Amino acid sequence: MTASPGTEPPLLEMRGVGKQYRGVAALKDIDFDVRRGEVHAILGENGAGKSTLVKILAGAVTPTQGEIRLDGEKIHIAGPSAARRHGIAMVFQETSLVPTMTVAQNLYLGDEKFFNRLRGTYIDAQQFLQSLNFPVEPTATVQSLGTAKRQMVEIARAVRLKAKLIIFDEPTATLTPEEKRHLFTLIRRLRSDRVSIIFISHALEEALEISDRITILRDGAHVVTGEATAFSRETIVRHMVGRSLTNALYGRADAARKLRAPGAKVLSVQNLSMQNQVRNTSFSIFRGQVTGIFGLVGSGRTETARIIAGIAKRDSFHGGDVRLEGRSVRYRTPRGAVSDGIVYVTEDRKGDGFFETMSVADNVYIGRISSPDSRGVLARRSEAQTLAESWTRRLNIRAIGVASRVIELSGGNQQKVVIAKGLVQKPRLVIFDEPTRGVDVGAIAEIHQLIGALADDGLAVVVISSYLPEILSLSDRVLVSRQGRIVEELAADEATPDAIMFAAVY
Amino acid sequence: MFGRIKSALVSQERIVLVTAVILFCVFSLFLKGFLSAANLLTLVRSVSVLGVLGVAMAIVVIGRGVDLAIVATYAMSAAWTLRLATQGVAIGPALLLGLALAVAVGLINGLLIAFAEIPALFATLGMAAFVYGFVRFALVPLVVVYMPANAASISWIGGGFVAGVPTPILLFALVAFLGHAFLAFTKAGRFIYAMGDNFAAARNSGAPVRGLIVLQYALSAAIAYVAGIITATAVSSVNTNVVNSSLIYDVILVVVLGGIGLSGGRGGIRNVLVGTLLIGILLNGMTIMNIQYTLQNVIRSLILLSAIVLDSLVNPRDEQTEQQGDI
Repeated sequence: MTASPGTEPPLLEMRGVGKQYRGVAALKDIDFDVRRGEVHAILGENGAGKSTLVKILAGAVTPTQGEIRLDGEKIHIAGPSAARRHGIAMVFQETSLVPTMTVAQNLYLGDEKFFNRLRGTYIDAQQFLQSLNFPVEPTATVQSLGTAKRQMVEIARAVRLKAKLIIFDEPTATLTPEEKRHLFTLIRRLRSDRVSIIFISHALEEALEISDRITILRDGAHVVTGEATAFSRETIVRHMVGRSLTNALYGRADAARKLRAPGAKVLSVQNLSMQNQVRNTSFSIFRGQVTGIFGLVGSGRTETARIIAGIAKRDSFHGGDVRLEGRSVRYRTPRGAVSDGIVYVTEDRKGDGFFETMSVADNVYIGRISSPDSRGVLARRSEAQTLAESWTRRLNIRAIGVASRVIELSGGNQQKVVIAKGLVQKPRLVIFDEPTRGVDVGAIAEIHQLIGALADDGLAVVVISSYLPEILSLSDRVLVSRQGRIVEELAADEATPDAIMFAAVY
Repeated sequence: MFGRIKSALVSQERIVLVTAVILFCVFSLFLKGFLSAANLLTLVRSVSVLGVLGVAMAIVVIGRGVDLAIVATYAMSAAWTLRLATQGVAIGPALLLGLALAVAVGLINGLLIAFAEIPALFATLGMAAFVYGFVRFALVPLVVVYMPANAASISWIGGGFVAGVPTPILLFALVAFLGHAFLAFTKAGRFIYAMGDNFAAARNSGAPVRGLIVLQYALSAAIAYVAGIITATAVSSVNTNVVNSSLIYDVILVVVLGGIGLSGGRGGIRNVLVGTLLIGILLNGMTIMNIQYTLQNVIRSLILLSAIVLDSLVNPRDEQTEQQGDI
């Protein structure tokens, strides 16, 4: 698999690299190297230091110790432009393109000619994109493109700048299986052109599939590097969490798992429509079980949930009926939904989930005082404190104390804070939207356990996910969403990966 | 305050505080008469109205808003109160009507921002122009309104002393104390920080965001009215031209200089006090030194710029401080 193992000196070498923030080591004493023309996956839980490591290479973060060698020469990466000069390009999670400009303008951003002819640029870009076999229209504005195509533009830009090393940070998080295959083909092509690739992902299968070598980090330290063929799912997980985790996680433990029978009908949605995102969709949710909603990104799952929870602006939907325990409801604001016991746990926790300047205690407390049954005018510090302490214990939120700021926690613990903020409102229906996106392996298991426990306690639980194993291991009942509507309903025992995928893409 | 909102902002606040202290020491050593009790009272008194307006602005800015109608509300509602008194209305009802006008302006601001969802900048800018125009057109046809004799009973508000301390200073202290209590110890205060930090998250959590926005602007307008009455009684008149002066920028300066970020969610009344104090020391010292007004402006702006530069040197914003999500 590897081009030429061992013999050639590595393209990039890091020796004893570390980074400290206010005395806290985010990365300590890392030795790491990338060979020419290899795909090197970096794996680790959130907070393991993956992002810091690649940000150092991309010039976004300056290391506090250690040295970096490129082609055997010691280099200093002072900033993003220095990284680019050294031939290191990064394809970001949130793309760094200018949305209102066209694809061609983005490709040539930063080195336009003095007298810039747009037509000439388009022709150049057209030829260039064709040479890469990217089906992207150079005259389209970036904002009109889907995630996959934006990524192509980013990759094209890296190739155009003759990058020797391209870093992909979670490139597959928002791609459909089809797009993912295309991306992998591309990565393999780049590899055969002797471009080195660093690949960061949470999905272990992908890392095993695409990479030549794998490096695992834990708590900011290097754990192991080795040929990808020498690893299996289990060994990777063991190295990542540093403890032996039985493969309950994502295992198709159907046989062992007892399915929950549906309780009373809590919510029924009839012919709901919103613009062209939700089209005439109908389904029901029952108490005491987990209903999984699977669908590709853009299939209207989140939008449907946001209408139910009152988050979507009222004037943008056209019709249909949402009934909560038989009563027709249409919320103008989330406050109405919260007071009726509907809680939505967002897919974008930094965007609209938690309050980053606030402590864990304050975050949970905002949830508490937002409940309509919270009486009185004064905020009580002691109440915030005890509430947060009991919830950090219950959800096993790992923070130095409830006074720690949420922004300082890892992704998994931030997610738990957002969940706690919702659960203090004593909901009867909880909608989890991508509950484990960007969450580390250990916390995924805990969050899954919690979701199951909520259903056992008699709550109606909905889990929206585009990660099939997650849907399979959690749901008692699976709904499949496609093009704005629920197209299929499957009982857990008939919900095979093939059946779900078939319904989702048709 | 709850939690540790400090770390990032203490520095700006501290830098400004240290600057203020240094200036204070330098002026005390080299300026004759600066350190006298009389002068110090004059110093604080001269900025107490600015400080009161700063508290009003802070309540809005912390919730990620801005109230550019503060100065218009401040001047025009006070002017109407004096005008009503001149026309023979008893001073009690005149005060209440003035307050009602101010609060009405605040409510309209809040409704425009919360329900019509107009950006605060445009809503309050428009309201500022409307209030000035409307009051001049319909209620107060004069540029300068003088305090009539029948209003003498309230002249203590701006001109009185309690135990040797001028009442404007005491009122500033009272407003600052109440503002702090509101922000730090009430649920509404917690919600305002939450809205300033992440508005979408506050809304999703079920916080009554619309009501809170209206409350913020109504409070801000009511506090502005207090400042208006302090000024009116201190100089026995209201000059409505102040609406068209640079006072609104001074109010924003006090808030931002003290370390309350315009992006919301950060800082508190303490920051307003620190910002007000620095401006007060500066203005007073320069006045004693008899520096001409135009040069005073230059010095003031340089101090502001260096405070901001120093802050960004002490707190370099790299990728990490901006998005600390994934280490």
